[in-house]
Amino acid sequence: MSYDTVVVGAGLAGLTAALRLSERGQHVLIVARGVGATHLAPATVDVLGYLGDTQVASPAASLPGLSNGHPYGHVPVDQLTTALAWFCAHTAALGYAGGPGENLLLPTALGVPKPSALAPRSMAGGDLRAGGRFVFVGFKGFKDFHPTLIAANLARARLPLSIEARALELEPPPTRRGDLSGRVMAGRFDNEQLTDWLVHALEHRVEPDERIGVPAVLGLRSDAPWQELEKRLQRKVFEVATLPPSVPGIRLFQALSAALRSGGVRMVFGVTVVGARINAGRIEAVEVANATGTHAYPVTSVVLASGGFASGGLELDSFGTTRETVFDLPLSGLPEGHRVRFAPRYFDEQPLATAGVATDDLLRPVDGSSRPVYENLHAAGAILAGATPWKEKSGTGISVATGYAAAEGILVPAAAPVSEAVR
Amino acid sequence: MATQSPSLSSLEADVLVIGGGSTGVGVARDAALRGFSTILVERSDLADGTTGRFHGLLHSGGRYAVKDPSAARECIAENRILRLTAADCVEDTGGLFVSTPWDDPEYGDQFLQGCKATGVPAEEIPVAEALRREPRVNPDIRRAFLVPDAALDPWKLVWGCARSAEEHGARILPYCRVLYLEMDGDRVVGADVRNERSGEEFRIHATVVINAAGAWAGQIADLARCTVNVRAGMGLMIAMNHRLVHMCVNRCKRPADGDILLPLRTACVIGTTDVFVPDPDQTEIRQEDIDLLLDEGEKLVPGFRQARALHAWAGVRPLFEDTAKVAETRDVTRSHALLDHSSREGVAGFLTITGGKTTTFRLMAEAAVDAACRQLGGPRPCRTADVPLSGSENHALYQISHRLAEREPVPQAEEIICECELITRSRLEDTIKQRDTTSLDDIRRLLRLAMGPCQGGFCIYRAAGILHQGGHVDQAGANQTLLDFLEERWKGVHPILHGDQLRQARLDDWIFQGILDVEHVPV
Repeated sequence: MSYDTVVVGAGLAGLTAALRLSERGQHVLIVARGVGATHLAPATVDVLGYLGDTQVASPAASLPGLSNGHPYGHVPVDQLTTALAWFCAHTAALGYAGGPGENLLLPTALGVPKPSALAPRSMAGGDLRAGGRFVFVGFKGFKDFHPTLIAANLARARLPLSIEARALELEPPPTRRGDLSGRVMAGRFDNEQLTDWLVHALEHRVEPDERIGVPAVLGLRSDAPWQELEKRLQRKVFEVATLPPSVPGIRLFQALSAALRSGGVRMVFGVTVVGARINAGRIEAVEVANATGTHAYPVTSVVLASGGFASGGLELDSFGTTRETVFDLPLSGLPEGHRVRFAPRYFDEQPLATAGVATDDLLRPVDGSSRPVYENLHAAGAILAGATPWKEKSGTGISVATGYAAAEGILVPAAAPVSEAVR
Repeated sequence: MATQSPSLSSLEADVLVIGGGSTGVGVARDAALRGFSTILVERSDLADGTTGRFHGLLHSGGRYAVKDPSAARECIAENRILRLTAADCVEDTGGLFVSTPWDDPEYGDQFLQGCKATGVPAEEIPVAEALRREPRVNPDIRRAFLVPDAALDPWKLVWGCARSAEEHGARILPYCRVLYLEMDGDRVVGADVRNERSGEEFRIHATVVINAAGAWAGQIADLARCTVNVRAGMGLMIAMNHRLVHMCVNRCKRPADGDILLPLRTACVIGTTDVFVPDPDQTEIRQEDIDLLLDEGEKLVPGFRQARALHAWAGVRPLFEDTAKVAETRDVTRSHALLDHSSREGVAGFLTITGGKTTTFRLMAEAAVDAACRQLGGPRPCRTADVPLSGSENHALYQISHRLAEREPVPQAEEIICECELITRSRLEDTIKQRDTTSLDDIRRLLRLAMGPCQGGFCIYRAAGILHQGGHVDQAGANQTLLDFLEERWKGVHPILHGDQLRQARLDDWIFQGILDVEHVPV
């Protein structure tokens, strides 16, 4: 079977690119070794939270301040705005709030206000910018959320308006299991009427003007438990991202997968791209291996959304050589000289932080002389060079923006000649 | 055991021990068991110097059988004693000496002769049998020998000795740094000490002061205007993420760099190198030493460079060089040095015990306390060869499966704070209370928290939250110990970061910076 586009990787960038392409009529295949970082990261869309040490209030206004070679350099602000609006429209079940003009400030599980451009409605109520009174509720036996530390840190955080924060710990109804992950806790909200218990436990212990922060475990299937809590408690309730696995991230993955399935996109997991058939500078077919053998899929275009070092899209071997693992593409952002030496202090600037593939404005990986490596290969997400997303708080934003832009790059009728496409 | 914070302005004891490594706690326990009132001071945490950074090999003596027969005899004797008295700290992995294609197979004959002469049990086994026991070992080995090497948990050993010393009346004072030695004429009569956590200074009077500061012994001796020439020999080790071997595998050749690979709890450790460093507190890990260990590992276990390296660290051996031309050298053996400064420099009440190796720490302690007895009214018999540490009374050797076995009857009964090392919430909370510590790095050494493949990616946030929730630290303290831990952990992670461990490190970056935003926490 042949496809218009094969997308390599099922993280947020790959899912975004695939959905945009299928919506525009393409026949799309996603191949992936497994699910992506949606299951690890909070489901917020973090476009840009920090420029160096400075907190960013408006991502749209701050993007021009990014250095040359940053992935956003290939996504004009109006395209970013379009991409975010498109993303919100296609994840309506999660009710994303916000936009590129202003960052929300959402509390982390350490009690740090973190900037995010978009948040699902179940998290957006935690926006700290307006000040006010907050109560953070922990569940005894759930190790990935520590409300006393959150409240104590937030009380000392630098915020535009003052806030008050306190902690409460509640003991959920007993269960056979004593060691609960966020995923299992969320399953209890889906299946064991934990919402009832939480309403009764909270209704007389929370002041009318307090907002209620809980670990992000309010149901795996949907945010229905969150909706019910807000309605019955008559208070603002919000989820705070915990350690992985990320329950809101899993909900996001499910929402996007459902949209992909109804758009006819095929998703194949547990497979690895092992090669490509190349002809005249184009990828003609992608060779995919599963447990039973290798299959070649003829393609018109390919999106590489395999992720960075964390996802296995990049690898550093013990001799100091870094490689891109799917197509062995040329890399940018490698340290001078042969050997990588990491800086001795953890928070210092580290080598390889911005390593990845450099691209042209159609997000096609380029070689050292800025020519596309393959005419029909586009890249998106954490494989792109030029960002330090965990510091900038830009990971999910880059994935949505470049996933959308890579799809647009493919959809441009008869891509412009190379010399004009390169800046 | 509570870490006692002395609030007295002065303390008194028969014996003051300086240094909280295996030698120091061994001396303190030995002296306490003989009925002497004893105080031990250590500038940081117990086992934070050489002991906590050694490879973990309880020598059979095989390694020294050819080169250093007297050390080999000491090792096998102490090996047998520790299997009984510190059984809970010893995993009976067995040792395997192998001749790889890079080693002269005829050395095996010298090896067997040396073992026979020194009483180290050694037996040649067929290569096929060796490979059956250790399937990952290089299939091209030409000879293989079994010896009774074992894996020794240094933290458990040191804390076990410290606890035993306390049970016999000793006071163990970590984080107490010696500022001055008190002199009365030509006699050392005690020390001025600063509690490094409270800043409080106090004096300890003692009849005998025993300098067990290992590679730092020269610095302590200086305080009494005595000379101890200890050179610091830095050794590098790398922990791999699982047990590539189940026995302590040695190259059958003259001891050299990178020729030991041994299982240690859930990991395995390759060691070591030997480089003189001018300052024992300055141990920089060099890339060429990392490469050397990885290349040597590849010779022992093909594919070693693709395996996952977790952590690298350097320890400093105290290497004693006697330059004082005095008669009193009969106690100076090649394996350790006991110096009585009254006969060397005319300074009474002051002994130094240094050199040696963790395997022979008990013997060193015995020699030091024997010498102290001479200044404390006559001989008293040493009991450490017979009295087991608590937890080792029934001589049951440690099994790698212990923590799992504790969990198995009720597999999901309780939160597991560190999945890599199976540390439960109650175990963590008990340790915080008993040790009265709020340092995540101390807790790491006590429980192996964060020593597994994720290097603290998950458990460290949890542990910081539990410290705060339990009221052990305020918000600033919790944040600070979390940030300190991230820096401390990075020291061991960054020199070997490649392959799957870089992937893990990037996930940890995402957790701490991307999700928690730890770099903007208020401190």
